[in-house]
Amino acid sequence: MMPLLLVLPALIMFIVSFIQSEKAKFLLPLTSFAILLPIVKLFMLPKPYALLGSYLVADRLDTYILLVSSLVGIGVTLALLTLDKHVKVSASAYRRFYRFFAIFWIGLSISILSNNMGLYWIGLELATLSTVYMIKTNHTKAAHKEAWNYMIVGAIAISLVLFGIILMYASAKPILGEDAMRFDLLLSHAKEIPSPFLFEMGFAIATVGMFVKMGFFPMNLWLANIERASFYPVAALFSGILESAVIIGFFRFSQIAMEINYTHLFGFVFAYTLLTIFIVSFLLFRAKDFMRLFSLSGVEHMALIALFWVSGGTFAALLHFGAHAFLKPALFLSTGVLESRGKYRIAGALRGYKGKKGQLFWILVSLFILAIISLPPSPMFFSELYGFGAMIETAKQSDHMLAMIGAILLLLMLLSVIFYRFVAIYQSMKYEGEEEEKRVYPSELFALVMFALCLAALLIPASLDYLRSIV
Amino acid sequence: MGVDFLIGLFLATLIVALFTSRLYRLILWYSMNSLTLGILALLIGEELHDKAMLITGIVTILIKAIGIPYMLKSFSHRFHFVRQIQSEIKVQHAIILIPAILVFTFYLAEPITHMIHGNANYVAISISSLFLSLLLMMEHRNVAPKIIGFLSMENALFLLGITATEGMPMLVELGIFFDLLMAIVVMNLLFHKEEVTP
Repeated sequence: MMPLLLVLPALIMFIVSFIQSEKAKFLLPLTSFAILLPIVKLFMLPKPYALLGSYLVADRLDTYILLVSSLVGIGVTLALLTLDKHVKVSASAYRRFYRFFAIFWIGLSISILSNNMGLYWIGLELATLSTVYMIKTNHTKAAHKEAWNYMIVGAIAISLVLFGIILMYASAKPILGEDAMRFDLLLSHAKEIPSPFLFEMGFAIATVGMFVKMGFFPMNLWLANIERASFYPVAALFSGILESAVIIGFFRFSQIAMEINYTHLFGFVFAYTLLTIFIVSFLLFRAKDFMRLFSLSGVEHMALIALFWVSGGTFAALLHFGAHAFLKPALFLSTGVLESRGKYRIAGALRGYKGKKGQLFWILVSLFILAIISLPPSPMFFSELYGFGAMIETAKQSDHMLAMIGAILLLLMLLSVIFYRFVAIYQSMKYEGEEEEKRVYPSELFALVMFALCLAALLIPASLDYLRSIV
Repeated sequence: MGVDFLIGLFLATLIVALFTSRLYRLILWYSMNSLTLGILALLIGEELHDKAMLITGIVTILIKAIGIPYMLKSFSHRFHFVRQIQSEIKVQHAIILIPAILVFTFYLAEPITHMIHGNANYVAISISSLFLSLLLMMEHRNVAPKIIGFLSMENALFLLGITATEGMPMLVELGIFFDLLMAIVVMNLLFHKEEVTP
């Protein structure tokens, strides 16, 4: 019953998207809001909860990620209500967006809740393919080109993930048979895998595929260009939801790899994420528009999440993940208003907001911008403190304390470059440029308020306790 | 013996596809590549008495060797694809590059082949097919050969699944087929001209 309830709102959304009536425009957001109800119900159930035999199993980790994703989905839906006030979007493109959003949601739910590597891949591929058409809802040549780019590069990345999964499956099949696809059994039998090298190789290849999909080295500008070419809500979906499905795969695979050879896993992920942050910090320094700025910042944060996770700072990684999942879509959605006087006009972007709605908008956006660079009381400030603490703890247990301190110092230096750039941009937005009147619509404001409340909820002791209890 | 011959044929069809400069020929070679893969799945499935692999083999022939090439040809008619597809890599360079990839892959896959029982060399061939499919995507500027490169890559992964793991669970195999069909639907939508009406 529960699996049906989970996909029912998406199925209704898919069917309603074919109705060529004005009423559909109001029905579609309602179906999107309905997505939250079964997820809240699932959140309350005792864990682990078998949704579909051993194929779909809800545990504390995946229900948390699903809950965060559904809240982001609602925020995106709210912003979609007034998308036509900022950009030219046809009624049919709007309906098609929802049609593919429904497929995206089904793929995403399968991927997040799956306890099977193969099913995880199928869900991720389904979610990836459905986002291709969402990029094309923006009827420009650039969006068309980027949709193809996404299709091709995304296909290569996802193929690497499948390649890795096949090797991991092959490594464990002699002891587990067809059950070698199951995450839980792989984790409990990790030490018995007869060919650990084969598993590690599969893990490395799958991780490269997942990292490429999130815009890590060497594809740092890939995602930024795609998000620039698509509409703001699509970018919000990418950063707030799709990346969640990718990172949960990384969490699951790395938990098994940790059991096999922790040193190999840590060395590989540490070098990869450090290299990514090194490149991204300089790309961020040169970013000249909001979309690329926020997109590259997303890559930086996903790299930090991966780093904290493999360092043993699972609480830090999950807190950072939640904060990023709410902050980044909020910033992408506010870009629609910030860029209402032109794409590359950063100076004065936070000026010209009149009335209570306008004032609330600029205050919220200011808070989000300062929160994304981890200024207290942002949840990111705490997650980074805990994350760096976990890195030091890991180093204490090895003979590489000095190397770790050096790496953390390098990381802090790179983060300070990003910090400096964001502060400079914020000052330019607030204190430079001409004051031109800009309009904020209630639905957008409502979405931002919702994201701000979700961020505040992350810092409630009960939420922090829940996050600590996940792993 | 039959499996060895078919694996060779699988690789050969992919290599010929790399030198093709006409779109319909490329589609034909993709179809042949898929047909070989389907028959291979049937033969290995028969050998292992694996019903799931037999079903997968039949579905491969129906969808990949017949259905997808037919759809690609109809897309070509409907959306007026450029049928002269010139490779960016010159033939004389490709003649050196392709064997180099094959030798490199056998060297790369050497540690893995020790860990896989049975068809160890086939794993190396499937990995080299993966690289050759990537080359097919890279050497053309037009979208259609890139799509065929992507589909060939999927074939190479399927071959890896058959040879390295003696077949993946049925549900996963069918899910991959479903995703492939979804990819074709999305490609069809991407080929459609931009809507003008606001």
